[in-house]
Amino acid sequence: MTRVRVVAPRSSARTTPERAESAEQTEVGQLFVRSLIRSQLRLAVVVALGFLVILGAFPALLALVPGLAETTVAGIPFDWLMLGIGLYPVIGLSAWLFVRAANRNEARYRDLADDR
Amino acid sequence: MNPAIAIAAFAAVSIATAAIGFHGLRISRTTGDFYVASRTVRPWWNASAIGGEYLSAASFLGVAGLILLSGTDALWFPIGYTAGYLMLLLFVAAPLRRSGAYTIPDFTEARLDSRVVRRVTSAVVVIVGWLYIVPQLHGAALTIRATTGLPSWVGPVAVVIVVCLTVVAGGMRSITFVQAFQYWLKLTALAVPVIFVLLVLAGNGAQPVAPAAVNPTGQPPGGLYQNVSLLVALLFGTLGLPHVLVRFYTNPDGQSARRTTLIVLGLLSLFYLFPTALGMAARMFAPELASTGRADAVVLLMPGYLVGGVAGELLSALVVAGAFAAFLSTTSGLVVSLAGVISQDVLDGSVRGFRLAAVLSALVPLGFAFLTDSLALAGSVGMVFAFTASTVCPVLLLGIWWRGLTDIGAISGILTGALLCGGAMVAGAFLGAGDTPVWLAQPAAWTVPAAFAVMVLASRATRGRIPRTLTRVMTRLHTPERPLSTSR
Repeated sequence: MTRVRVVAPRSSARTTPERAESAEQTEVGQLFVRSLIRSQLRLAVVVALGFLVILGAFPALLALVPGLAETTVAGIPFDWLMLGIGLYPVIGLSAWLFVRAANRNEARYRDLADDR
Repeated sequence: MNPAIAIAAFAAVSIATAAIGFHGLRISRTTGDFYVASRTVRPWWNASAIGGEYLSAASFLGVAGLILLSGTDALWFPIGYTAGYLMLLLFVAAPLRRSGAYTIPDFTEARLDSRVVRRVTSAVVVIVGWLYIVPQLHGAALTIRATTGLPSWVGPVAVVIVVCLTVVAGGMRSITFVQAFQYWLKLTALAVPVIFVLLVLAGNGAQPVAPAAVNPTGQPPGGLYQNVSLLVALLFGTLGLPHVLVRFYTNPDGQSARRTTLIVLGLLSLFYLFPTALGMAARMFAPELASTGRADAVVLLMPGYLVGGVAGELLSALVVAGAFAAFLSTTSGLVVSLAGVISQDVLDGSVRGFRLAAVLSALVPLGFAFLTDSLALAGSVGMVFAFTASTVCPVLLLGIWWRGLTDIGAISGILTGALLCGGAMVAGAFLGAGDTPVWLAQPAAWTVPAAFAVMVLASRATRGRIPRTLTRVMTRLHTPERPLSTSR
């Protein structure tokens, strides 16, 4: 068996894939691409802001409602429950909603690009 | 605890790691396998591997230690570590996978069509990687010191040797299996003792020594600026970590990159319940552990402290195994990604070069670890997050979403972030933990906006340098993979 020298394909990101050709070469194709990027960015920003608002609301609620932080549920203070457990479902839900909507945006883009 | 048990636990984890690593050797055959597992890793495997790699000494030991010290302020650490992945999912996961690049420097070079940008990004990535490996080695030193009585240096040296052997033997392919295994090992190694400790506490009706709200150290609470700045660092730092990004290239396409991240979020949320519970139990039932100055060892000491006897020894051994899994997995993940960058930029990109680079990327932080002293683990890792958030994060976010980015803009932004944040870290090190003002100790809240602002303004000023390949690259980043022509 001969020894073959394997070398990393340098900067593979530079090569143009076939799939993108029609999308990038025509004006209509670019219009679709731009609108896809815009809708994906809008979606990401909306989900991020929504999450940050909820994130900020947790400590704000604790600071504004007197006595809430000292309330205990099953021996555990309420602020520990909120920050230690309560925020994780919010993260998961935001992520799940985003993935669904992002895939839907892409499906819509595909339909448009295929119909052309 | 009995030193022999701790040593046996470490040996078992090392042997299991090496065994899975060598098993992978039979599978990896091409350079593609070596670097990114030929992009054929399934989402569940990949997600477990990401979780395994991400849960470092800071998560396994540091979070519980910090909760013991600073209570609810410390709860922002696990929240930030997890929510960082949400940001990664929203802004980076799918486009980065679609860029088809192997490393962050590959991405920036392709996006901005500039070798200089590549060089600058490579330098930043290597610095980030080295900074991140040092706390892992500190964690290993702490664990060895707290559990076996051997000299501290044994821990870091052992970790570096095992990591070098695994990475040199199998590259990324076997690393994926090693990392996936280590997530589940870490989860078990923390969950079982925590549940046991809680059951024992509930069973013998132990009364808390102090309510959770009582502060065992007398340190003042963090305040609003500190928490906000920390969250900025953790939310935006995660998406620039080199060992996290390289994992996304092993997804078959952009949509599976998203699915993988979704699973990762679940795995991380599940994991962080346990250090949180342990830290809180320690605060209520063993607050004296905080005053020994070894709060980071609380995860290692609690089972023996509260359970005792043979059961306590066995649980301690399990925790030690999990801790070493954390040091080994994060260090090897970082070494793989650093070796990828160094071997492609400095050496010739061959498998031999990769191996050489791997050894190099593990030895340099080992030297650093001997020269520096261990601070709070979660805190020192937090500084690395601030540094990535000020350097890699702006160039990734603007590169993916903004057409106006230029090479000059990217370089000036990265250098601004690196100088400001690096300067704050150096100044903080000189002043000492007690005398550092909070805006220097948690710099992300002003260094990240500064880096973004400079990057945008410098790009605006050099508008003529927008690369001609822009349209092609942006199309590639954002359009789904399935060929458009097949259905016509």
